[in-house]
Formats: sequence, C-alpha cells, structure tokens
Amino acid sequence: MPDTLTPPTITPVQLDLTVNGRRQRVQADPGARLLDVLRDQMMLTGTKEGCGAGECGTCSVFVDGKLIKSCLMPAAKAQGVAIETVEGLAGMGDLTPVQKAFHKTGASQCGYCIPGMVMAATAALRDNPAADIEEIKERMGGNICRCTGYSKIFEAVEIARDVIAGRLPDTALDPEAVGNSFIGHNTRRMDAPSKVSGRLQYAGDMVMPGMLHLQVLRSPHAHATIVSIDTSEAEACPGVHCVLTCDDVPGKDGFGVFVHDQPVMARGKVRHVGEAVAAVAADSVRAAREAMALIRVEYEALPGLFDPEDALKPGAPVIHDYAADNVVKHIPVRKGDPDRGFAAADLILEDSFSTQQVEHAYLEPEAGIAYVDPDDVVVVISPSQNITHHRHMLSHIIAKPINKVRFIMSPVGGGFGGKEDMIYQGMLALAAMKTGRPVKLVFTREESFAASAKRHPSRTRYRMGLTKDGRITAIEFEMLSDGGAYGMSSEGVMRKAAILSCGPYEIENLKVDTRVVYTNNTPSGAFRTFGGMQAQFATESMMDMAAERLGMDPFEIRRVNMMRAGSRTHTQQTLTSAAIDRVLDAAEAASRWEAGVPNGRGATRGDLDGPGTRKPCTLGARFRAGGAGMVPTVKETS
Amino acid sequence: MLYCDTYLQPATLLEALRMLQAAPEGSRIVAGATDLLPWAREGRGGDVRVPQLIDVTRVEGFAGWRREGDRVRLNAGTVYQEFLEDDGLVRLLPNMPHCAAWFADDQIRRQATLIGNIVNASPAGDGFPPVLTLNAEIELARLEGDRVATRTVSVEEFVTGPGRTLMQPGEIATAVTCDAMEGYGGSFQKVGLRRSLVISAVCCAALVKTDASGRVFEDVRLALGGVGPRPVRLRDIEEMLRGREMTPELVAEASILPARHVASRSRVEYRRAVVQGFVEAAIEEALVALGAPRTHATEREAVHA
Repeated sequence: MPDTLTPPTITPVQLDLTVNGRRQRVQADPGARLLDVLRDQMMLTGTKEGCGAGECGTCSVFVDGKLIKSCLMPAAKAQGVAIETVEGLAGMGDLTPVQKAFHKTGASQCGYCIPGMVMAATAALRDNPAADIEEIKERMGGNICRCTGYSKIFEAVEIARDVIAGRLPDTALDPEAVGNSFIGHNTRRMDAPSKVSGRLQYAGDMVMPGMLHLQVLRSPHAHATIVSIDTSEAEACPGVHCVLTCDDVPGKDGFGVFVHDQPVMARGKVRHVGEAVAAVAADSVRAAREAMALIRVEYEALPGLFDPEDALKPGAPVIHDYAADNVVKHIPVRKGDPDRGFAAADLILEDSFSTQQVEHAYLEPEAGIAYVDPDDVVVVISPSQNITHHRHMLSHIIAKPINKVRFIMSPVGGGFGGKEDMIYQGMLALAAMKTGRPVKLVFTREESFAASAKRHPSRTRYRMGLTKDGRITAIEFEMLSDGGAYGMSSEGVMRKAAILSCGPYEIENLKVDTRVVYTNNTPSGAFRTFGGMQAQFATESMMDMAAERLGMDPFEIRRVNMMRAGSRTHTQQTLTSAAIDRVLDAAEAASRWEAGVPNGRGATRGDLDGPGTRKPCTLGARFRAGGAGMVPTVKETS
Repeated sequence: MLYCDTYLQPATLLEALRMLQAAPEGSRIVAGATDLLPWAREGRGGDVRVPQLIDVTRVEGFAGWRREGDRVRLNAGTVYQEFLEDDGLVRLLPNMPHCAAWFADDQIRRQATLIGNIVNASPAGDGFPPVLTLNAEIELARLEGDRVATRTVSVEEFVTGPGRTLMQPGEIATAVTCDAMEGYGGSFQKVGLRRSLVISAVCCAALVKTDASGRVFEDVRLALGGVGPRPVRLRDIEEMLRGREMTPELVAEASILPARHVASRSRVEYRRAVVQGFVEAAIEEALVALGAPRTHATEREAVHA
C-alpha cells in the first residue's frame, strides 16, 4: 500500500523469493508481516487474516516446506525463501486430494478458516502420511474453525490420507450418487471448490482502484458525555481524506433491528467501551491510524450500569432518554391458571440459572467497502446478514431515496447472528460520500470483540410444580437479560426466549416473563438459538432435577410431558405434528442410556466412558506411536 | 500495528552487537517474532514504532546444538519444534519434548525459539520449568571494545520478575546450555482449555531417574511455572524424594508441599490445588516414560483418601 506518512528514514526491504514456484521481487515495508506482503502486494488473498496474533491459523503458509503462521513472520525474514500458499497447492481449475476430500465431506461451511485448514491438513499428511486421527488432530491444533465442530474436517483428512496412500481408490473423492432426489443423500456444497482453493473473496480480500482505508476511534469509557471532539490535527495530516463524526450524518441517525437507538457514531455521549466515536479515511491504514491518534475527544464520565438488576432499581442512571426505566423490552406470556396448577402439585421446585456473555468469534472479522457509483448510488459491500434491512436503515441515515442505496452481500466468513447489526456500514457509506473514493474498513480481531454484539447474559428464576408421576402442573419463568448499551436484536431474542421458555413440553398453566434492559456493557444481539439456549439451559436443568427428586428416569419425565400432535404450545398454537418423541428415542439409543434415576444407580455406569464417548484430551500422539520410550517416530523432512 | 523503520539481518554476532550498540532507543532484537507481533496490538503494546529490528536468526553459529561433555549447548536459533523432532535432543533432554508438545502449536513452534521464551520472561513461559530442572544457563554476549565477550548466568537467577531479567543493554543471548539427562524419564504438566495455543495458568516439569532395582528414586528434579513472578525449582521436594523407595504414599505426601510456593496475584487457591495434582502427575508420568505402568485415577484417589 502507498504510505504517504512514511518517514524519510524508512528503509524498504527488497525481497527476492519464490512464491508458488515463480520467482518474485518485492519491496516490503520493514514493519510488514509476510501476511501483508502476500495479501496486499501479491494479491494472494487465499491466505486470510483472522486474528493477527497467531491464534487462528487462517494465515498458514509453507515457508521452505514448513508450515508457519504468516501473521507472526516479519516479511523481511522471507528473503530468499520458497513460499507455497493455498493458491499453489493445485493448478488452476484443479484440486489436490485434500481439497477434494474437503469438498466431498462438506468440510467447508463459511469457508474462512478453510484455506488455512487445507494447508494444515496438507502439512500434517506431508509430515506423516500415516498419521492416525489423534496425531492429525494434534498437528492441526493451531487452526480454529467455528462452523463445523471439526468432525467433517477430520473426516476429510482421513479420506485424503487413505487416497494418497492408495488404501482408498481415487473414486472415494467423488461425490455420492444422488439419483433423483437430494433428500437422504450427502450432496456436495456448490461453493466448496472456491473455498478450498482460496479463490473466494471475502470483503476484506477485495480491492478497488483509488481505495482509501478507514479506521475507527473507539470510546475508552463505558458511559460518558462527549464534551467536545477536535479533529483539526487529524484533518491536517498528509494522506487523510476525511474525518467523520456524527455531525456528518445528513439524515435521521439511528439503526437497530427493532428500535433504531444506535447512532452511526456516538452522538452526545458514549454508552459502552468500544463504541465508535470518530473515523478517519486515509491513503493507508497506517496514515489513518496515525491521524486517528491526533483526534482530541473530551469526555465527562457518567455513572455506569453494569448489572441488569441495577438497571431496574429506582434512581438508576438512564442510558437512553426514550427509556427512562432502562427496559428495552418485556415479553409476557400467560396460559391457564398457574396458581391452580401449583396448588395441584405434589412437588414444587425453585431454582435460578445464569448464563454468560459469549462472543461469536467468527473467523472473518467485520469488513466492508463502500463507494458512490456514477449515478450517485451509494453502494456498500459487506458480509451483512440482513442487507435489505440495512439498506432501508441506511437510506434514512444518509437521506437518500431507497433506489440510491445498494447493499451487496459479500461471502459471510461466519456470522452466527453477529453480523446482523449495521455497526460499521454507515461509517463506510459516509466516508465514501464525503471523499468520492472507494473506502475500505477491516476490523482487527480486538475491534471485533469490542464493538460487535454478544450473546445476552441471562438470569432466570424458575418455579415448577409437578405431580408424583412427573406431570408438570405449572411453571413460573422469569428471565432478566443484559442487553448492553443498544437494543440491536434484543426484542426478538426476548420474544424467542419467551416462546421457547418452557421447552418442548405441554404446560397447561404458565406465567412467563422475559425482560431485557440497557446497561453500559457491550451490546447484546443475535446469536445462534436467539434466546432459546438461555431458556433451555434452565428448563432442561429443571427437568433433570425434577427427575432426581421424583425418582424417575430423565427420559421418562420428558416423555410424560412432551408435546404431541394436538398439543397447545406455550403461546397457544395447536400443533399438527411434533417430533420430540422421536428425538428422545434417538438420543436415548445413541447415548446407550442406562435407564434409571440419575442419582440412584451406583458408582459404575455403562453409558459413561463407553464406546463412542469422548475421551479426555491428551497430547503426545506422536510419542505414543513410538512406545514406552516416548521417542517421536516421525521426523520432519526438511 | 508494528511500525519499523529499518529491518536488519546481521550475518555474524560481532555485526549484530555493533548494530545493537548503534541502534536508536526502542530498537529490538528479534528471533522468531512470535512474541513481538502479538505484542504490537490493541490492548497490549498498541501501535508501536520500533526504529530498528535486529533479526539474529541468520547469525552464523546460531543454528543447531551440540553436546559438550555432560552438557548440551543449544544455540540461540533452537526452536521448540526441534525438541519434538530431533532424536538427539529427545534423548538428552527428556522433558523438553513433553513441554514442546504443549507449547503453542506446530506452526508457532517452528518459529519460536527457546531463548526468546527465556528472554521474554513471562511468568507463564512454558520453557522455564523444564530448563530449570535441566540446570540451564544462558550465555550473554556483549561488545568489549571491538571484540565479543560473554558471560553465563543460570536461568533460575536470570529471571528476576515478570518480563524482567539480568540482561544488560547491549547484550544478546547466544545460547542455552543444559545438563545432558540421558536415561531420565521426563514429563510436563499444564492447565489448558484445549490442546493447542493455550497459555499456562500453571505448568510443572519433572525429570526422574530410578536406581537399578527400579524401586528407589535415584534422582528427582521438579520445577513449577505460572505460580508467581518467577519460575520455582522444588529443591525441598527433590531432597525429600532422593534415595527413598518409590511409593505412591511418598509421592502423595511430597505433592502437598509445593502449594506454599504459589505467590501469584490471581487465582491463588485454584493454583494451589492444581500444583498438588501436578507434582504427583509429573512424577508419575516421568516414571511412565521410563516404562512404569500408569496408575489409574481411582488408585490415586485411594492413596489420597
């Protein structure tokens, strides 16, 4: 990247190296990483950046035949070396057995970890073509996947190993025949070849001529009034094309999935650590960051709210003026007569449950490019999970008719709900409109953690009444969730938590309340199960405890209460079909469940530690293969 | 982000020392760079400008290792993966492969040097417990006039606190020397949430040798990491075990002692509990490495009961 702020003393490093069999000469920045040179100068974007700290493995490449993490290697070290990237594994249009096996088993889902994963699998099999599955797992331990749970990846590596060794025929890599129907057959993903070859471009891989780089100044405070923002020094920096604050928003500022309570950049005050306050677009990331450091923001700290219980107390600090009680949403569900239900119970159980904040940690950090096309259409390319809604919100924010706003959804390198919120696309659009240039923003992993929504931390108070034979007579369910600083998907999450609250059981009498409140914590939003997980943790725990107290088998108590065709749900919908009976049967068989009361079956259990159960994690597969002397049997060939 | 004005790759130690002497303030020696690059990020060093990086990985004589009498000399370029993959090192430094298996991952181990781990002096550094049991010394080179002078410091004394060592400005670490421990059983214990890429909350290394009968501890060496500002060699327990008959009761008794060495600023109770199990498991696994049968967890519980 051109770097206008480069001090005159800087000495570029001239690198002569071989990349995928071709000799290359590049001038590298002395502070650049090998990853930067591969991606930005050689356009080898199959090598991804997921964390920049050696933790994820999306950047794995071979250097002189040894797999390393290119985010941890200064580019200058590459003088004279031979590099092989994912693009170099097979010829154009061809795939290696490892890549074909990944295609076959469906090992690529979002695909962002996959080039690195293919490299790690390739390295493992090059280092030991006979590696068993434990050794493969150990050798691939430096690469993280968030979609697959690894099973399909390991399945692929074992198939590839056996094909390479000749133990399986090449046809083992072919797709399964599907006949006239895909149903009941393994079908290959159409996008897998683009992912296993590294050719699929995510937003962070895209470049446009004349593209500027955006960097975002974020709040160090959880709750503070913004007294002033002085951008003059930053504006004056060479290479800076614009500095943005909320004052640059031409239309009606505010976005959110349900309530539009979040400004594109902090307006008047900040509500959580990591909230965007200002942004700089410049010729290079470095120029933008150096200018950003010169923005002066004066804050006046406000008392913060960090516990959802505190948010409900009288006199609590108010985080959003429109919600004086700090409540984002309360979802009540009522059915039957809980008082009568509890009166009819032989046993009443009460307990409380809490779940914690969770980060999605998709391997692809947030990224996007925005530009204004010749017809004045503002275009935003990003891995948004909700582009139509984003488009509508952005048209209000930038005061343009909807036909002048376009969203292009780039491949989503993992979302899990975390990319439903429009937390950066507004800034990109404003920067493109202000500069007339394409503008790109790529979050760092740290930024992604600080700024993106999390799973709602929850606290649930539970009361369940049951008869002696295990029939639930009534439930009182009260959940309080920490919504963090902005509403985002909170309302929907609370709705889902309420709808699913009491599980797949027919409860005649229930009183359910889910509430989500504002605090000054990182905002909570959508995350796989969308509130269901927090509720089911409480409900299923209650079912197990009830089984213990009543001396029943845990499967049995669930069968007594499960929904059937004709059951009425918690929200009083009549079901025409229900599958929980089959789910319970399948789970019981698969787990080799020993029927009985959980707490009354003695010390030994046949269904624990048995076949098919997960053994404790150990290391040293490479030693064990060598016997008691613990001498590694496999040596690297260099 | 890391900003650097000049990246230097000296070919000789003399050249490297001269570069270091002449380097502007804030310049750094770099080997594997696996600590440097994660440090230059938000939440740690942030955006940092290092005027000069002096990369010593191409310095003549920094690659490889050799045996010197009853010691092993590991030159500065020795990376963690070598402890797993070099037969000679596996034989001579029997607890290092176990440490290496738990250290980061295969890819990082190909770049990360042992000497960098020591100089970095993190209280969680995985390399410390095993090198302490190996009576390791670190060799430091400096310029004296126009020639290279060296001094040697035991690693135990070298680390004075978190990130603090006895290294002087102008010095470059050139080698680590260790006792050659052929015939010992080695082991390494570490608390981790997954197999790879885990930073130790506590770690423990052991080296054990039995007498000809296989029933008496001829020698035991133990050390802990992650339990305070510096790694700790457990000489009191070594003393207690040396020459005694190997019984599960003795090992269980010895394993209670090291809890008092825990001087961390956080999770003290947790670490004390872990340390107790670690010392016992480290000794047991070192014996397993010598060919002893593995004790089942329930037998161990019975001894403690």
